[in-house]
Amino acid sequence: LGNEYRREIVALLSTRPCSVNEIARDLPISRPAVSRHLKVLSQAGLVIDEQSGTRRVYRLDRKHFERFWKEATARFRLFAENTGA
Amino acid sequence: LIEPLRITLTVRCAPEHAFRTWTERATVWWPPEHTVSHDPTAEIVFEPRLGGRIYERTSTGREIEWGEVTAWNPPERLCYRWWIAATPADATEVEIRFRAVGAATEIVIEHGGWDRLGERGQPWRDANHVGWDGVLPAYARASAAAMTTIDED
Repeated sequence: LGNEYRREIVALLSTRPCSVNEIARDLPISRPAVSRHLKVLSQAGLVIDEQSGTRRVYRLDRKHFERFWKEATARFRLFAENTGA
Repeated sequence: LIEPLRITLTVRCAPEHAFRTWTERATVWWPPEHTVSHDPTAEIVFEPRLGGRIYERTSTGREIEWGEVTAWNPPERLCYRWWIAATPADATEVEIRFRAVGAATEIVIEHGGWDRLGERGQPWRDANHVGWDGVLPAYARASAAAMTTIDED
């Protein structure tokens, strides 16, 4: 179930940045549970939090994809430039 | 609107070779941390046609789908829906353009479709449900992943 709610949280954050309260309002889980899922997601580099006025909001972070592309293109270039014609 | 990620690189080879390397030899250059199975001998396959599947095939023969080719125009352009990070319902979109610049190729990658992440319109095509739990550890490690030696042909 944790997995399923994390997907729901990611889906929600993909539409707009949200506070913990807003997420808890949309999902049938408690605030502390939302916080725990957010912690997992942010440790994985998928979600970051920021202060927005008096609220702390969470949003999707694309850094993990940026890292992916950086690594993938470096490897691709090295391989493409050293093989074939 | 969430802007697409945009990556530009120049590679010292012809577009034909760049396109073929991307699609036919991904097994060799694909970052090993970024497979679902984490099987170091997993093969990565781009089926060479519109609607082709993109998947990894593990050493035990298990096939895990990651995406679907939505434009196949060698050697200029390749597009695919990509859901390695999630599920087909959470696919993002990748467009790769290859353009000759002298003897080299300029490659522009646009990774977008972030706004539609999480929509539930896409049909499931495969029982290979790739959950976040299976993939998140790979991302957590990816930042620390070192470049590994690339096998030469």
